Amino acid sequence: MEILLEAFRSLGKDKLRTFLSMLGIVIGVIAVIVAIAIGAGTTANVTARISSLGSNVIIITPGFTGGFGGRAAMALTSVLQETDVQNIQQMAPDVADVTPILQKNFNVIYQATNTVVTVVGAYPDTFSILDLPLQSGRLLNQNDENADANVAVIGNVIATTLFGNEDPVGQTVYVSTGGFQVPITIVGELKQTGSKLTFNPDNMLIIPYTTAAAKLIQLNGGVSQIIASAKSAQTALNAVDEINNILYMRLQNTNQYRVISQNQILSTVSQTTDVLTLLLASIAAISMVVGGIGIMNIMLVSVTERTKEIGVKMAMGATRRRIMVEFLVESMFITIVAGAIGVGLSFLIAALVTYLASGLRLTVIITWPSIVLSFGVSVAIGLFFGLYPAYLASKKSPVEALRYE
Amino acid sequence: MAALLELKNVKKIYDMGRDIHVEALRGVSFSIEEGSYTAIMGHSGSGKSTLLQIMGCLDRVTSGEIVIKGTAVKDMNDFQLAKFRNRTIGFVFQSFNLIGNLTAIENVELPMIYAGVPRAERRKRAMELLKLVGLEEPEERAYHRPNQLSGGQQQRVAIARALANDPAVILADEPTGNLATNQWRRILDIFKRLNESGKTIIIVTHDPLVGQEATRIITLEDGEIIKDERIK
Repeated sequence: MEILLEAFRSLGKDKLRTFLSMLGIVIGVIAVIVAIAIGAGTTANVTARISSLGSNVIIITPGFTGGFGGRAAMALTSVLQETDVQNIQQMAPDVADVTPILQKNFNVIYQATNTVVTVVGAYPDTFSILDLPLQSGRLLNQNDENADANVAVIGNVIATTLFGNEDPVGQTVYVSTGGFQVPITIVGELKQTGSKLTFNPDNMLIIPYTTAAAKLIQLNGGVSQIIASAKSAQTALNAVDEINNILYMRLQNTNQYRVISQNQILSTVSQTTDVLTLLLASIAAISMVVGGIGIMNIMLVSVTERTKEIGVKMAMGATRRRIMVEFLVESMFITIVAGAIGVGLSFLIAALVTYLASGLRLTVIITWPSIVLSFGVSVAIGLFFGLYPAYLASKKSPVEALRYE
Repeated sequence: MAALLELKNVKKIYDMGRDIHVEALRGVSFSIEEGSYTAIMGHSGSGKSTLLQIMGCLDRVTSGEIVIKGTAVKDMNDFQLAKFRNRTIGFVFQSFNLIGNLTAIENVELPMIYAGVPRAERRKRAMELLKLVGLEEPEERAYHRPNQLSGGQQQRVAIARALANDPAVILADEPTGNLATNQWRRILDIFKRLNESGKTIIIVTHDPLVGQEATRIITLEDGEIIKDERIK
């Protein structure tokens, strides 16, 4: 108890010095906590967005050829075939449903508004596989398919672009293709869902597959993408393997297609953000070590300055261990207080970052482990970097220490 | 009277490196009786400071033997020496050497903290000791820092601190060296009073006026005793 009080007193004597030596640790603790918080926030953000896909969903796309052709290739090439859909249906036991997608960008006109929209030809089961909720009107059904009907379900965001505050259901838009204009009647509007991986329904005009194949997107048996669902989240990875095998049998080249499941993406994303978080936190941790070296420096100066005091205390009967503990308590006092200040301030900084970066969709989540870790490390730094100066203090010869002026 | 402190042929040789050795004490023997008042005198470089350090268990002898209260100091390790200093020896220094961060009363309490005396008891005894050394209005002065006290007041606090654990012997190293004459007298009176109440006192000094106060004067020169006289 007296040791603590004495440590407090001698640190209080030179407040500026104590404050400056604390600063390194304070900044280090803030940096570590905020770095980890940004990492955790980003992971949570991305995970939430990917999870909206539905955990069983598997999307098969043509392989990205890289370079500028990548995106166009996805829509236009006929690497993937309708026969692949049939093969997957028949030969992949862990796949529940599988359906092809036709997809291409068109100018879509409503009254005076003319805008580029991704038009998607899809069978009715697409809505259930991707879990697309209806806001108003109805979804597409088998009758629409049978009739090659010129009807569509429209995404929430693009509906606002085209119709403003008007109810899109019942309106007719014109899809412009090579001089022709195909009239399409909107029968339903989707709720806003956000991007589902390679798929953003909010910006799509979804028409019956047969309508698309007959009137807008002729790929001669080719399909833009294939969407499948695994029988359960547990068998999703098996289903991915099965699909890979089926496609490889025909194409003999793994670069020509990609099979993407949410699990894969989640693990890739979390690996990436984990590595980034680790990197950020390590850089931040270096600043804590630098802070520790600063404390060691201050403690060494303090030991030298107080040589005489050490000698007097030894003459009064202080044991070497007692002297050592006194100095250790001082350095740990610095780091414990600095650590606590750092933890407190990091909440403030996190709030500030969230506020300033609100446009960037940056989420900052301070986690308990990061607080415990950084506080623990700062205490450990106080112990580690305080040990040597304290040892030096305790090893002084009483006679020489008393003679020191 | 029984011998409280006994030196037998004590030698202290400092190794200055490069094969240079300085013989600070060349075989000193004497004994100090309990309740005595001894002055150790000599010019600077005579070895009197070395002798004080050795009697105070701050330094070890090169050869010879010291026995304090029946205990041979030679056989003790650093930990035991610290404990021994704490309970047996009270130091008073020329430059007072109070701890600047601590108040007067806390300085007096310091040796008792090391001895593990409980807080309340410590405080009570420290206050008594401050009264004993005649610190004016001790209740108020007790909570002053050393730099708020005069030299004489600081030295009186230092004497109170030396008495904290009721040591067998008070070792004072030029205790009046840094004091003005009027303060000087008061300090010597305190030592005299302490001696009259039975405390063993050893003062190291080069000042004959201080030496006169003692009942025995041991004079050192070049690390040897050249005179050992008893007055009164």
